[in-house]
Amino acid sequence: MNAIHIRGATKVFNPGKSSQVEALADIDLAVEPGEFITLIGPSGCGKSTLLRLISSLALPTTGSVEVNGKPAEQARLDRDYGMAFQTSGLFDWRTVAKNIELPLELMGWSKADRRRRSSEMLELVKLGDFAKHHPSELSGGMQQRVAIARALAFSPSILLMDEPFGALDEMTREHMQDELLRIWRDTGTTLVFVTHSIPEAVYLSTRVVVMSPRPGRIAAVIDVGLGDRQASTRDDPAFFSKVTEVRAALREVEG
Amino acid sequence: MRIARQTATFVLFLALLAGLYTGYKAFGQAIDDRQHGWAVVGSVLPRTDDLNMPPISEIFGQFWETPGGQDRIYIRILLDEAVFTLREAFAGFLVGSAIGMAIALALAQWRRLEQGLLPYVIASQTIPLIAIAPIIVIWGRKNFDFFPWEWQDWMSVSVIATYLTFFPVAVNGLRGLQSPRPENRELMESYAANWGQTLWRLRLPASLPYLFAALKIAATASIVGAIVGEISAGVEGGLGRRILREAFNYTTGPDRLFASVLGAAVLGIFVFLAVTGVERLVVGRWGRGAAA
Amino acid sequence: MNSLKGFSAPIVAGVALFGLWEGVLSVFSSDGFVLPPPSEIAGAFIDNWDAVFRGARITGFVVVSGLAAGVILGVLAALLVTRFRTANETITPLAVAVNAIPIIALAPIFNNWFGLTSPRSNQAIVVALVFFPIFINTARGLTQVDRSQIELMESYAAGRARTTREVRVPNAMPFFFTALKLATSLAVIAAIVAEYFGGRQDALGPMITQSAGLTRYDDAWAAVLAGTAIGAVLYASVAVLERWAMPWHSLIRSHREET
Repeated sequence: MNAIHIRGATKVFNPGKSSQVEALADIDLAVEPGEFITLIGPSGCGKSTLLRLISSLALPTTGSVEVNGKPAEQARLDRDYGMAFQTSGLFDWRTVAKNIELPLELMGWSKADRRRRSSEMLELVKLGDFAKHHPSELSGGMQQRVAIARALAFSPSILLMDEPFGALDEMTREHMQDELLRIWRDTGTTLVFVTHSIPEAVYLSTRVVVMSPRPGRIAAVIDVGLGDRQASTRDDPAFFSKVTEVRAALREVEG
Repeated sequence: MRIARQTATFVLFLALLAGLYTGYKAFGQAIDDRQHGWAVVGSVLPRTDDLNMPPISEIFGQFWETPGGQDRIYIRILLDEAVFTLREAFAGFLVGSAIGMAIALALAQWRRLEQGLLPYVIASQTIPLIAIAPIIVIWGRKNFDFFPWEWQDWMSVSVIATYLTFFPVAVNGLRGLQSPRPENRELMESYAANWGQTLWRLRLPASLPYLFAALKIAATASIVGAIVGEISAGVEGGLGRRILREAFNYTTGPDRLFASVLGAAVLGIFVFLAVTGVERLVVGRWGRGAAA
Repeated sequence: MNSLKGFSAPIVAGVALFGLWEGVLSVFSSDGFVLPPPSEIAGAFIDNWDAVFRGARITGFVVVSGLAAGVILGVLAALLVTRFRTANETITPLAVAVNAIPIIALAPIFNNWFGLTSPRSNQAIVVALVFFPIFINTARGLTQVDRSQIELMESYAAGRARTTREVRVPNAMPFFFTALKLATSLAVIAAIVAEYFGGRQDALGPMITQSAGLTRYDDAWAAVLAGTAIGAVLYASVAVLERWAMPWHSLIRSHREET
């Protein structure tokens, strides 16, 4: 069974109006459990829209989206996925620990379980000392780590991330990439990750999905196959050749 | 530290105001008001004799005097009457805030309703209801007999305070409930959170900074409503009525009018500071600067 | 098409509201009711047109002149105070607290200062009531500026006045107009309530209270309606002025709503 299976999905905004926009056309994509997929493409290619279709925050105009063998809507109601956004989207009025506990509260976990889980997650993202802080007292990178901890807190089978590192500086970004890979390996989660950065896509994923704009289509799917990432991977010639391959595919779609 | 500095500036400001008042008065007295062709003093600006501008020392001295026919010193009387007015205002404030929040919730829930009703909520505030306060009191005496308790005149004044209170709460509450960013709403949606959970965990806390901005306005407005309501409705026992009585007896005791108006000013600032204090406690360190 | 759609909801709601109001009061006996049905108010408005119109002119003058003076003073004070950093940091929070004073309570004192039957004391109340929100909001708008925009101007070696004109004033515009809209309805209410304490006896304020005293509630509401009309005209004028003064603002807003 595929973790995610999209068949012939299209998305049209404001159909029938002068402002009609065809955001996605003929999307077919199957994702195996435990894969790390990145969606990359120029602005307006509908990668965020595709992510929203998978999460059923938006419904496809035609076609179908299945997650874990059931309709995406059902998967959302079953709380099969965690989400992280470009901005951390933390609740200002909750402490860091309370932010991580938010989904657990909604799922009716007991207070003791929530406490235990949030401190585990804080250890995982190396923010153990900041449980009682408010988000406004944290740096951007730390906030993003809390957001990831929140997304992972209830061990969702699928993690959807929309340019989560987009606003971070390069150093923090590379560090966060390694953190995310470690978490991904430790948890076996299926990951769909939207990004603008070619090296990021290559470094992180098992497969890169290159998208073309107006309307958004899948132009190429590139298998990365770099094996376990290490610090040296970023300087590996195989890494660079994959970067070149993705770049060439992107050049093509931009014409 | 910050509070100490603000208090210091406030005291300084009061001293400056008192100095300005006294200085202008002395200046006006020195030129005998308008006699030297100074058309400004005594026409655009008030005349400076003791009747129009009683000396500050006498205004404050008045606080400690016992007016004829009374058993308490004046400041004590003002204090008791301020408590009476505060009760009217507070009842109106509570009811008005509840109504305002209910309207905000309804409008936030149904966008059609917002488009249709919001213009009328705004228009309702241009209706000067406080001006028809006497009708409300007279009418309330006769017609508000369906309540399980006996309708008192001060409750009619509270109705006016309610009317002045609901509006800022409704408008700001709506803005606050709509303030969460799309990704926060999508997050709750991705958890398949229901309406109540989203309201309680996201929309309501997000609205608090906006709400407190409105509650400060509403608290002040409820005092204005209570004072004007008392004055125009002839409700005895509060500061509004006191000001009206002192205005009648102006020629014999102008300093008492000034003292009573001062009492109203203090009451207004007091409720404002009270709400600000509650805001600091509730919103504390996360809310600063969240709502413009 | 789109603009029509924006108006249809308020019209539907309005017809429903007034229909309900009229309907409820025609079913229940409305005699002596504090709130007559809209048809009776409209009738009283037409019957008393001369008196209502005269009152509206007198009150309208107090409102407009007081509003204008209050706005000018408020903006000037804001420009002056925000010129100096420490002055702004101490005076603006102070003004917020002073704004909590029930200014209307000053009416008896103003009546003695400016004459019981003169509209000047009413004007003074309106000026005082309008001044604070305008001052506070404009001062906020002039100071809550994006730091990088100021630094950009500094990098051009732009002078203080130039920076104020190019960055601070445009930034303050939305703040100012928000306050100005609020001030229009405040000014009407302030004028009418102030007239209740003194001023010309043929203005709207006394007309309301005198009619109410004679339990002629429809006449009272006709005068209230006139006051509401003054407020509505002023509010609409400000809204038009706002669009004209900052065309970019409505553009941003409609853009945001679409995405």
